[in-house]
Amino acid sequence: MTAVLEIQGLRKTYRARGGPRRALDGFEMYVEAGQVHGFLGPNGSGKTTTLRTLLGLIKPDSGEMRILGHELPRHLPQVVAQVGAIVESPQFFAHFTARDTLSLLADAGSLPKERVDWALELVGLRERAKERVKTYSLGMKQRLAVASALLKQPKLLILDEPANGLDPGGIREMRDMMATLSAGGMTVVLSSHILGEIQLICDSVTIISLGRRVAAGPVAEVLQAHSSGQVRVALETPADLSAAAQVLIAAGFQLQANTDHLTLSGVDKPALVARLLAERQLYVSELTPVTADLESVFLELTGTAPVPGQVRSVDQSVRPELTPQNGVGA
Amino acid sequence: MSLARAERRRFFKRRLTRWVFPIGLLLLVTIASILFAFHSKPTAEARARGEVAAEAMYQEQVRYYEQYKRECGEKCPEDGWTGPQRSDFRAEDFMPPSFDFKSMYGELFLVWAAIMAMVAFLLGASFVGAEWASGSMMNLLTWQPKRMKVLGTKLGVMLLSVAALSILALGVWTGILWAAGELRGTTEGLTPGVWQSFGLTALRGLGMILAFGALGFGLASIGRHTGLALGAALAVVIVGQVGLTILFQMVRVPFWEQYLVPIHIFAWMNKEMKLVDWSSPETVCDNAGNCNPPELLITWQDSGSMALGLVAVVLVLAFWQMRRRDIS
Repeated sequence: MTAVLEIQGLRKTYRARGGPRRALDGFEMYVEAGQVHGFLGPNGSGKTTTLRTLLGLIKPDSGEMRILGHELPRHLPQVVAQVGAIVESPQFFAHFTARDTLSLLADAGSLPKERVDWALELVGLRERAKERVKTYSLGMKQRLAVASALLKQPKLLILDEPANGLDPGGIREMRDMMATLSAGGMTVVLSSHILGEIQLICDSVTIISLGRRVAAGPVAEVLQAHSSGQVRVALETPADLSAAAQVLIAAGFQLQANTDHLTLSGVDKPALVARLLAERQLYVSELTPVTADLESVFLELTGTAPVPGQVRSVDQSVRPELTPQNGVGA
Repeated sequence: MSLARAERRRFFKRRLTRWVFPIGLLLLVTIASILFAFHSKPTAEARARGEVAAEAMYQEQVRYYEQYKRECGEKCPEDGWTGPQRSDFRAEDFMPPSFDFKSMYGELFLVWAAIMAMVAFLLGASFVGAEWASGSMMNLLTWQPKRMKVLGTKLGVMLLSVAALSILALGVWTGILWAAGELRGTTEGLTPGVWQSFGLTALRGLGMILAFGALGFGLASIGRHTGLALGAALAVVIVGQVGLTILFQMVRVPFWEQYLVPIHIFAWMNKEMKLVDWSSPETVCDNAGNCNPPELLITWQDSGSMALGLVAVVLVLAFWQMRRRDIS
């Protein structure tokens, strides 16, 4: 598939009072056309710096970036009409109406006026379009921000925390909208901390920690790669569970016995479990891998899982070594 | 062009534009209306009353003079004064003032230019400062990533809009003062040369207004906040003007007034400003009280080139940092 977004070896260091701070340290990212791609990372990991660098708001120290095949930032003006973006909290002039806000942007981008109504309709703000933005709730401002990003009908849509402030219904609407846009051929890069949503919406993810990529790929593959290899085993006759446990322990498996099933760890080939038990006339009714969810993978990879009794500082997360898989340094 | 159109719409939609310009215009209308109200057409009746009052004053002064001569007798100093002259007591001085458009309109350009310069400074600073503070500038740059083009268009639109508003205000100002001349004085003596002089003064006034607008825009752009421009203006007024005045007077800096902004505004609008250093040791006075203190002539070219230099430096800094600094 064609890469809509490519980042290689991106580096950015901020000068700060406490000394230079590396926001991006050889970061890599690839997003293929038509995908909804989740961009995840703890606070201060470099997500927003990456998005701002892509949009030409921040100058990188080094690295290569391409959107739709155009080299950035040199050719950003040629490609910007095909990129819609919201970065961090949406901010608008409080005394302008939603229609004014979008209409001014449409003017700046030489877009037809009809596009304003289309975008307002899409985010459910058409009825409130003549009201001043200052009367809007956070969720409504968020919808307006998404509308402003959609106004260009872009090929690449970059959304930083689009569900921030949305009610549950709004979150579901946003999820459906992403699916519709993606089905229509739009590529969406979605940065969010609502990992359950990302797992539901996204085809692929990139996880960043302290400026480096820690994982990337299709969601299922990332989850599979970081699952613990656990398998859940249930038998047709629950009374045979203890006998089955003895067989499997004798075969070298580590397991945990539960009332109605066994949980095995470090299983490479689940078929071997079924065969071993079948040889002893113990018949398996369930043999399913215990998959990790995105949240646990994220917490594991970034080292940001809360530890009882400890307070984690914002920058306290995992900085992975540079390898061919996550950076250019190897 | 589309960006310019959007920026023009944004400029006139802004709340500050919709408040500050009408307030400035209201101020001008109020001043012009007061001038209108306090002048009146010289009627035959008013002139007759003026003649009577002038004659009465003359007679009173003659009486005082004769009394003085009687009291001092031969000790009166030989200063060559022969008493009050009738020609010094004119009926016009005892009549309600009338508005002479030819002589007063030119002097009053300063009022229009000063008020509109304040309006321009505020609008210029806020037009870009509020964009930065609200995050709208960042949003706009995701649509138009050419930063120089964005800032240049904003500056151009702001200057053209302020120029249009200033010309509109000048039209209203001129209209009321013309009415004052027609109805409460005279509009006689307006030769093509006089109109040409008015035109040149108006152009200098417009130049001053635009310079203040550009200065506010540049300062707010450097600080990425309207507050920086307003703070700089306040610092110039308090530290740079009041503080410097006190300091220079204490250490007796010759021609210290040349460091004050109002002196240069006056020089710019009135073509020149002559400063006199009365405290200079070089000042020599003769027995008749005629003195020849050192003088310094500040021309409109002097003041203009200084202002141009200042505005250029501020704008170059604003564009340079727009090009270089990250937007976060």
